[in-house]
Amino acid sequence: MLLSAEKVAKAFGSFKAVAGADLHVEVGEIVGLIGPNGAGKSTFFNCIAGDLRPSEGRVVFDGVDVTNAPAETHARLGIGRTFQVPATFEDMTILENVMVGAFLRHPQRGAARARALKIIEMTGLGAQAEQRARNLGTPGRKRLEIARVLATEPRLMLLDEALAGLTPVEIQRAMELVREIHRLGITIVIVEHVMEVILTLARRVLVFNQGHIIASGTPQDIVNDPKVIEAYLGRGHGRQARQA
Amino acid sequence: MRWGWLALAAALLLYPWLVAGTGSAAFLQDMGALALLAAIGASAWNILGGFAGQISVGHAMFFGAGAYLPLLLYQQWHLPPLLGVPLGVGVSLLLALVVGLPTFRLQGHYFSMATIAVAELIRIVVSNWDLLGAAIGLQGPAMSPHWWDLTFRSAVPYYYIFLGVLTVLLVVTWHMQRSRLGYYLRAVRAGERAARSLGVPVRRYKLYALMLSATFTSLAGSLYALKTGFIDPDSGLGILVSVQLIITAALGGAGTLLGPLLGAAILIPLQTATNTWFGGSGSGLTYIIYGAIIVLIARFEPGGLLELWRHRVAPRLGKRREGSHAA
Repeated sequence: MLLSAEKVAKAFGSFKAVAGADLHVEVGEIVGLIGPNGAGKSTFFNCIAGDLRPSEGRVVFDGVDVTNAPAETHARLGIGRTFQVPATFEDMTILENVMVGAFLRHPQRGAARARALKIIEMTGLGAQAEQRARNLGTPGRKRLEIARVLATEPRLMLLDEALAGLTPVEIQRAMELVREIHRLGITIVIVEHVMEVILTLARRVLVFNQGHIIASGTPQDIVNDPKVIEAYLGRGHGRQARQA
Repeated sequence: MRWGWLALAAALLLYPWLVAGTGSAAFLQDMGALALLAAIGASAWNILGGFAGQISVGHAMFFGAGAYLPLLLYQQWHLPPLLGVPLGVGVSLLLALVVGLPTFRLQGHYFSMATIAVAELIRIVVSNWDLLGAAIGLQGPAMSPHWWDLTFRSAVPYYYIFLGVLTVLLVVTWHMQRSRLGYYLRAVRAGERAARSLGVPVRRYKLYALMLSATFTSLAGSLYALKTGFIDPDSGLGILVSVQLIITAALGGAGTLLGPLLGAAILIPLQTATNTWFGGSGSGLTYIIYGAIIVLIARFEPGGLLELWRHRVAPRLGKRREGSHAA
């Protein structure tokens, strides 16, 4: 078991954003998290990534209890994450952005730079390496975030709506990139609203609603689950999926 | 680029000789020394405020520690002031730890406000502490027969001492900029949350920046006290000391290697000129100029003059040059 989150809860005052969610991820999996806006997916994600401390429950990564560890410890142990709203370093170039990630495993500048250049090529940002991040559009920023995380050499990657706001063509390219990352042996947990992405990429899907996980299973199980249809997909989606 | 560096180095090295032939040689040499001192202080502030983006408005506490310790040793125990320089650095590092550990949990304006509060507190305590001369301050040696007391009649020896320290500081900053520390500090400035997610131990690195910055600010304070031979709570610990460090760095370009140097090269002559032209009332004018500079930088070019050059002037010059080649 690579990641095990047990009964994770997070409350903000009297509001329970996550009310006891479990997630177990095996090495090499791609797991999808879906749910309506405000269901608690991102809060749950932030608890796993070390950005928020869970009010209750336990998060264990590769045998190490990281429940109360800061985000930088998560990164050091091999958990990488992207942000829903890309948090690129605007005044730094793309190469410099990725080097910040690469410095985690390669403290020397030359080694970090070589590693970053390799990853920039792989993620298709090679032509813009010397441009400042602020000059990139949404697809470029999302790619840069992925590149930066890859540079930290993670074992588990948490992608928080990494494909939201992309055109269909860009989504296809981004999905190809996710598959390539998976082929490198990196385990992936992906929060996504674009159902096509979840259904194509994930082998297992968990559905969040009002802070609870209301269903989990294969993508096919999920699209046919009446509770999921009621809470998130809407009537007609299951039929469409079956027809597809 | 290499020629630019050589020209800058040559200009700085030869400045006292170049102005020696003029009618106001001593005045210009003194101004040169003061500009270098301002550049040291601003470059030191720049490590924390510019590169790491942590706007300290309390750096006067480090400047003051560096300024007070050498003169304290001399006035109270007749020890060479030079011995107080490392002691000042030691006290500054201690202060940096005491201030940094709790306040680096704070972000943005809260950190700035905390630094103002601590610095003002220290100024008030020192103003009432007899050992430190209270409101009157401390005095250094008059003309000493020993070279190690660093009392010179001419500004030229001070000029070269300051130039030496500035060179060391710029080399340290240049190395920092290219190393993991430099990249991490810029990442912290751009976004702490994202930096943390990439494995940057944000608080620890902010503390490194503060300690490095405090060390050189303290040195600037010591050099100031050794040159003027006098320090009081206002000139060593007043909030305007901190403000001047910030404005000098911000005017030239905070977060750049040479920005503080450029800021000092503009501000110090300006300040000296207003003081000369308007006498005692000139000090009031200096504050008006400071205020105007803050407004102009914040409104038009938060990156300072170096950014203005890089983004607005240099591209136009490049275009014109290309145009003339095409013609």
